Order: sequence, then structure tokens, then C-alpha cells
Amino acid sequence: MKLRCLLLIWLLLTIIYGCTSVKSWERGTLAKPQMAQEPTPLQSVIRAHIYSSREAAGTAGAAQGGGCGCY
Amino acid sequence: MLRKEAAVAVINGKTRLNSQSRGCSEQISPSSPLLSALTGAALMLPGLLYPAAQAAESDSLDFQYSHYQEGKRQITGLSSDEETGEYKIGGIKNAYNPIEVESQHGHANVSLSDRVKFAFNYTQDTWGGATPVATAPAVFGNNREVYSDAGTIAGASPLLTGQNGGKVLFDSNRKPVAYALPGEPDSGLLSSQQLTHVLASASPETRKQGDFKLTHEWNEAALSLGGGISVEDDYESRFGNIGGRWDLNQKLTTLNLDLSYTNSDTHAVLDHDSLPYLDYSHYRANGQLTKTKDSAQSSILSGGRQDWASHFGITQIINKNALMSADIGYTRSTGYLSNPYKAVSVVFIDPLNQNGNLPPGIIQGKLKPLLEQRPEVRNQWNLGGRYVQFINSLDAALHFDYRFSADDWGIHSHTFEADWVQPLGNGWTLTPRVRYYSQSAADFYTPWLVSEQAYRQQPANTGRNPALPYNPNKLPDHFSSDHRLSGFGALSGALTVSKTFGKAVTLETGFEYYTHQGSFKLGGGGENAFADFDYWLANAAVKVNLDTFVGSSHDQHAQHGEHGHHHHGSHAPAGVMFDHLLPKAGDMMVGYRYMYGSQGGTILNGDVAVNDSAIVNRGCGPNPCFLKPASMNMTMHMLDLMYAPTDWLTLMLMPQFMDMSMNMKRLSGAPNDDVANNNIGNSAGSNIGEHIEHHVQNGHETGGIGDLGMYALFKFFDDGTHHFHATAGLSAPTADINIQLRRNHQVEGGFIHYGMQLGNGTWDFKPSLTYTGQLEEFSWGAQVNATVRLEDKNKSGYALGDIFQAMAWSGYNLTDWLSASVRGVYTTQGSINGRFNGLINQFGPMDYPGSYGGKFWDIGFGLSAAIPSGDLAGNRVSVEWLQPVKDDVNGYQLERDGTLSATWSLAF
Repeated sequence: MKLRCLLLIWLLLTIIYGCTSVKSWERGTLAKPQMAQEPTPLQSVIRAHIYSSREAAGTAGAAQGGGCGCY
Repeated sequence: MLRKEAAVAVINGKTRLNSQSRGCSEQISPSSPLLSALTGAALMLPGLLYPAAQAAESDSLDFQYSHYQEGKRQITGLSSDEETGEYKIGGIKNAYNPIEVESQHGHANVSLSDRVKFAFNYTQDTWGGATPVATAPAVFGNNREVYSDAGTIAGASPLLTGQNGGKVLFDSNRKPVAYALPGEPDSGLLSSQQLTHVLASASPETRKQGDFKLTHEWNEAALSLGGGISVEDDYESRFGNIGGRWDLNQKLTTLNLDLSYTNSDTHAVLDHDSLPYLDYSHYRANGQLTKTKDSAQSSILSGGRQDWASHFGITQIINKNALMSADIGYTRSTGYLSNPYKAVSVVFIDPLNQNGNLPPGIIQGKLKPLLEQRPEVRNQWNLGGRYVQFINSLDAALHFDYRFSADDWGIHSHTFEADWVQPLGNGWTLTPRVRYYSQSAADFYTPWLVSEQAYRQQPANTGRNPALPYNPNKLPDHFSSDHRLSGFGALSGALTVSKTFGKAVTLETGFEYYTHQGSFKLGGGGENAFADFDYWLANAAVKVNLDTFVGSSHDQHAQHGEHGHHHHGSHAPAGVMFDHLLPKAGDMMVGYRYMYGSQGGTILNGDVAVNDSAIVNRGCGPNPCFLKPASMNMTMHMLDLMYAPTDWLTLMLMPQFMDMSMNMKRLSGAPNDDVANNNIGNSAGSNIGEHIEHHVQNGHETGGIGDLGMYALFKFFDDGTHHFHATAGLSAPTADINIQLRRNHQVEGGFIHYGMQLGNGTWDFKPSLTYTGQLEEFSWGAQVNATVRLEDKNKSGYALGDIFQAMAWSGYNLTDWLSASVRGVYTTQGSINGRFNGLINQFGPMDYPGSYGGKFWDIGFGLSAAIPSGDLAGNRVSVEWLQPVKDDVNGYQLERDGTLSATWSLAF
């Protein structure tokens, strides 16, 4: 199931990849702060840390390593 | 790590700042072929008009404070009916303070060259409060009501083996029961399936983490290398990571690959007062238990773990208004993955030992909590997706995230999150957010266990490979009743408000409420309501974008250059506050001050070093002393926010963040610990002396938000060479001065001593007069300042002594950017007025109000660097070491080692 999920996403991305064309001068909107992938990056660090000390799921995002502080 | 999930928090360190819309913007007409060509060319340059997906982080300095506060947990137990005396199951008053956490987070990101960026994070958490240690049926009586002297219910006392010393009963259907009347088998049975947590409280402790990342950027790729260390009393973690980014397809597609390795060690002190009630034989047989150095009665549980994590992500721009990303991660953890402070209630039913005075059909068992045993390997996968859509009509963006995670412990989880980022104009942005999380239980999660076998007396805590007191084959291979491994759902809602001032400075604040409930689990079947809890999280942040100062600070610096080293050329040494006004109306300054003070070595009485027997006999007033401080460290982080409404007035706001740690030693020649039970000032009949061992064993740590300073600086005279100004200030009692040590041995810990509380607790008036001067390469200055308490006592019953300080300094510009200074300081402070209005266990001089304050002489040596040009122009960094010359202390106090001050400031 995991593999199928992954394949599906990959397929989806390939399709998007194939048909996209956003010219450089059309990217003003994408550069707006509200379009940043992490709109509140400082807060996200704290929230992720607390979720990881209160929930068993793997944390999202890049592999960073880190300490515990798991109150 | 506190009572503590031993899972390493892989912090989501995505710290990309919002990219500013730079370079080309929407106003440029796309119809011009020349412009198109230029834009295309510009895109080849790094840092120009990256869409948010590849946003290169701006040079920035950020500071964040957050407060996490859990709600009180519901606990149940046996209580007696007032009329009949019969037992009933009911809520027990939970008087414990729930977990709260104070966190500070500093982040710096600077460009070392056009292509190389350096990012640094410093994080510090201090927490304390009560958490569950085990779970048991309420009829076992693991929570017992505690009555105050006045006879009212004061709270609950945790009894890990229940209220009958481990003896528990079941009916013929193996349902837990208790006799209706205490100790009377003929009184009938009370039967209940209700489960409850057993709570234990913890004194405050602190974790500190520093980490860095070095990134090299190319036109369409980046490579980063990072690492860090996290240290707390019982857990240390070191980590490294490497990551790459690759932009494809004209930067419409971005690939990320990250790999990290973490190596962590647990060194958990198992309390001597809980050891008799816990079974830890599994870890002793594994060779993981050692004796502590300082205390023969306690053991240390050690364990190492390693985590390898990998992550692959792809971000794709779908059209000019939308982007999406998908990622997959795998983490492998090996080693000691359990939590050393969590136990599982196991009832051992010995079929051969069912005689005695038992009613028909009743079975008896022995309740013995075993330290939890999780598997030593965990493989975890997670898969996530994010979609970001721009909403043109509202200039807003909708973010939607979904994440699936699965591991070989049997935990599957789903996370859904939606954010709406709404700019409101004038630099304001509002971001509401909802999140739903659901997880299934780990295969080995169990609230409690029954095992059909005898539990033999634990063998003595000596020898190699001692036998286990039970047959492990009759127990599951792994077990934990940590409710974080149970099935549950969680719902949270949050709101963030931010305001940007002229692109340079952003203030942000947020609030989140979170509720964890078994019944919220997706598809049902979650844990019962006894494990439910909730929390709120509030945070406030200041973000300074250094990129926006390029140019403006040049101009300002040039302007100052016109009249020599005016103001910015000759700041006072780092340890001096209120040394200058801002030059003109409308100016602003942000700054950061760091102060580290250390005490250690000899105990002084007045200006004379004294030996242990003098302290024992005279250091604690009418009582003997048992302990002395061995070392004490204090760290302060302060923010300087300055604004000049007029040329002659500068306003200043100074929030502070404190943390302190202290170690204590036994005094040779001190009386036995039980003599402390009769100390004058203690409540009679308690065994307070039991706490002495804990003081020696663990040391003390506190930390959190300090008092808030508000100041107004008035310019009196300024002719370019001589400057004279006055400051009037108020210090608001925002710090916690009610910090208590945890209860153990059925005795309250009481207040932690005066010097470890985080602030003054009183409103204080803080006036000062400052004179500064400079001529060519020389500068000099003098200041007198005072702190006058405006109240007789704070809410904890005391007031710190008033302070008067006088100082003079001189500086010389070694080069046009570096100067050196020397400073002399005299300080006098009165002793504490009043005393704590509640229990304080008085074991050493630091617990007595008379051993505070004194007269102090110091000499300071400082360096100060101002960056005159380049990208970082306008930044100033200063350090100063203050060396004690003479101490003349009130009462008995630890000698001072010195104080380090460091400041950074940026005017604009």
C-alpha cells in the first residue's frame, strides 16, 4: 500500500511536471510571503517540537537530528 | 527529558524566512521582450525572485519566547463515604501543578559570502510539573487523598503499589475489586473498571541546545552541512546532518535530500524513595544500572540510542498561483528507546498462594510496577504532501498539509492541517490554523497487566547477573502504558498575528489550544477518557531582517561620521546599561544582551572565608546548617528595544529571560538529616530532612521569563564632547517567584530558595544618571544607578534589598572599528526583607533572607567592535569580563567568580 501511494504521487508529479509552464515574470505571486511553504517558520519549530513530545508519529520535513526536551 | 518520552525529537528545523518580493515585481509589464530577457537573466542569479519553494533565507536575527501550559489531569482513587465509611470511586483532588514549559529560541542567519550562508540556533527549555508515571485500576487505591493540617483535602499522594502495600483483589471474573470497608473482608465488594493515572511531580530542569548549518549555494543547487548538541541533566544528544537541494526545469521543480544521524545517552537518576516500589530488575540484569557517586541510595539508569533519518522531498510549481510538495522519510532508531520514568502496573497472581482470609471466589495478587520495556529497534516511515494555493480576490494563501506515518511498533497516524495566511495591509498578517491528528496504539501498549505467576522478593541490589524476581517468559516481550503510545485523536486550533515595521522588524505572536482525547481517534477504539488532557501554547517573536539595512545603515553611519565618533563611535562597556540615547527623533534600535554570572569555591562571611564547621554553627541563624552551595550559575538573555519619539527622549523596553542552576554539598560536621525536622520555621512532625539527600543528588535548575524593564532616557546636555542624561525606569514583576521543589517522601519540597527564583516579584523604581565624554580616540564615562523596591513584599512574602551602584570607565579606539575599555564598579545591596510566606525547607545559608546582598567591588575589561561598512554595517558587538576585586557579603554566601556580558545592537 505504501508503495502504491508513493507511485501515485510520483505519477501525479510527473504529469504536473510535464504540463507546467510558469514563465519567470509570472512568478510574482509565488514569491509573496504568504506563499512560503512555512508561513510561520519560527513558530513551526516550537510546534513541531511539542507535537513530537506528545505524539508518536514521525515528524515532518527534513531530517535534522536533535535533542529531546520531551517534557 | 522529564518523566519523559525517550523519543528523540527530530525538530522540524525548516527555518526559511518569508522571502520578500524582490527583483521584478508584478507591476513590470510582461509584454516587453527586453524586460522578459532581463528577468530571465536575473533569475539565473542566486537570491533573486525565488518563488517561495526555493526561497533563500535572508540574513536575519530572530528571537522567540514561548510558554506551554498543560491543563490539570483528572485522577481517581478510593475515598471514604463520610456517613457509612464505605469506599467509593471518585475524583481525587489533583493539587499538582501540571507541566509547564518556558522556551527561548534565538536564530541567526548570516551570509559569509555571496554563496555561503551560516545559520545558528540556540534553544533553551525549562520545565517542571506533574506527569503520569503509571496507570492502574482506581480500586487499587494508587491515588490517596492527602489532608492538610486544617483537615481539608490538600491533594493526592501517588502510591505506586496501591494503598495496601501491593496487595490487590479480583473477583471470580478477574475484575479488580476492593473491600467495601477498609480491611474488612465481610463488608462486601466495590467493583470498578475505572482506570487512573498515577502522577508524580518534578522540580524544574533545563535543556539547552545549540546547532548550526553551513550552506553553499550554486545557481540551481545548494549543499548544507549541520550539527549540534542538546544537553540536559539526564539526557544528552549529539547530531549531524547533510542535505542537498537541486532546482530543475527552470526552477519549477525542486528536489531535496537530507540525511541525519543522532547519538543520544540517557543517564536517569532513579529516586531512592521510589526504588522500593518499582521493579527495575530487567535493567539491572542488562547491566544498565549503576550507583550514583554522591548518594549510595540511588541508582542511575543508563542507555544509549542511535537514530538515522533520511528524507526526500519534491516541490513543484503548478501554475503562477499554486505549488505543491511531497516528501517521504524513513527513520531507524536503535538502542534504549524506553522512558526511564514510566512504569507499567503488573499484578502477579500466584495460584499457589490464595489462602488466608479471603471471601469465596476472591483472588489476591501482588501489584508491582515494572519500568517500561519498549523494543530496542524502531523503523518509522512517513509520507506527506502539501498544497499551497493563492486566493487572488483576498490576496491570501491557503495551505493544506496531510501526513501519514507508520512504524513497526504498530502505530499508524494521520495528520491534517490547514492554514489560511491573510495579509491585512500596513504590514499586518493574520494566520488562523486548524490541525487534526489521529494515531493507533502501539502493539505493546497496555494500561496495566496481569501475570499468572509468583513475584518473589527482589534479590539484593548487588552481584552480577542477578536472577529476575519473575519469569519474563510469562510476560509480554515489550510493554508500556505511556498514553502517548495509546490510540487517540487530537484537535487543535491556532491564530498567529504578525506586524512588520518597514520590512526590517517583524513582531509576531501566536496562540494555540490543543486537546488530546481517546474518543477523537479516527475509526474509534481509542483509549478511555482517563488519559485525556489538553494544553495551550503561546509565543511571541521578534524578527530582524538584516538585508533591509544594507544601504540605510551606510547612510546613517556616514551621517554620524560627520561629527566624529558621536554616539555610535563610543559606546560604554558591554555591562553598562542606559549609556546612550538615540541620536534623533524617529530612530530605533534593537539589541540583545547576554549576561553570565558564576559563583563557586569559598563561602564568605563578610569578607572572610569560613570553614564548614563555622557554617554549620552560625550560617543558619537559630538552626544548624546541613548544606552549602557548591556552585551557582546564572544566565540572562535580554532584548533591548529602543525608540526615540523626540530628540531629547528615548524610550526603552527590556524583556528578560533567566535561567539558573545550582549544586549543593553536604557540610562536614553537620548533624544528622533528621535533626532538620525540628528546624525553627518548619512545620512540626514532618520528615523534611529526607529532602537533604535530594538537594545533594540532583542540584537545582530554574528558568523562564524574567522581570520586564521599562525606561525613559532624558537628554540634559550634549555638546558633542560631553553628554549628560538621566534615566527613570520601572521594573514590572513579570517573573515567576513562586517556584517550588517537588514533593517526595510524602513531604512537600517547599519554595526553592530566594536566589533561584526568576525575578524580584515587586514593582521597582530604577533611576540613574549617566555622563559620557569622548575626545579623539579616548572615551570615558560615569554612572550612578539605584533600584528601589516600591513594595514591602512580593506575593511570596519577601522583597529583595535595594541596590545602589556607582561606576566609572574609560575606553580607547584601537582601530576605527575596535575599542578597548576598563571599568570600575562599586555595588551595595541590602539583605532580603521578610521571608517566604509558605514552606521553605531550610538546609543552608541560601535559605535564609539574611544571606543576601552585601558590598561588592569589581573591575571590568571590555572590547567593542563596530562594523563600519559592508553588508553588516551598523552592527555593534561588545564583550566585557567583570572580575570581582572584593566581596563583603551579608551573612554567608558563595564567593563570586565573575560576570561575562556580551551585547549586540543595531540602530536604524
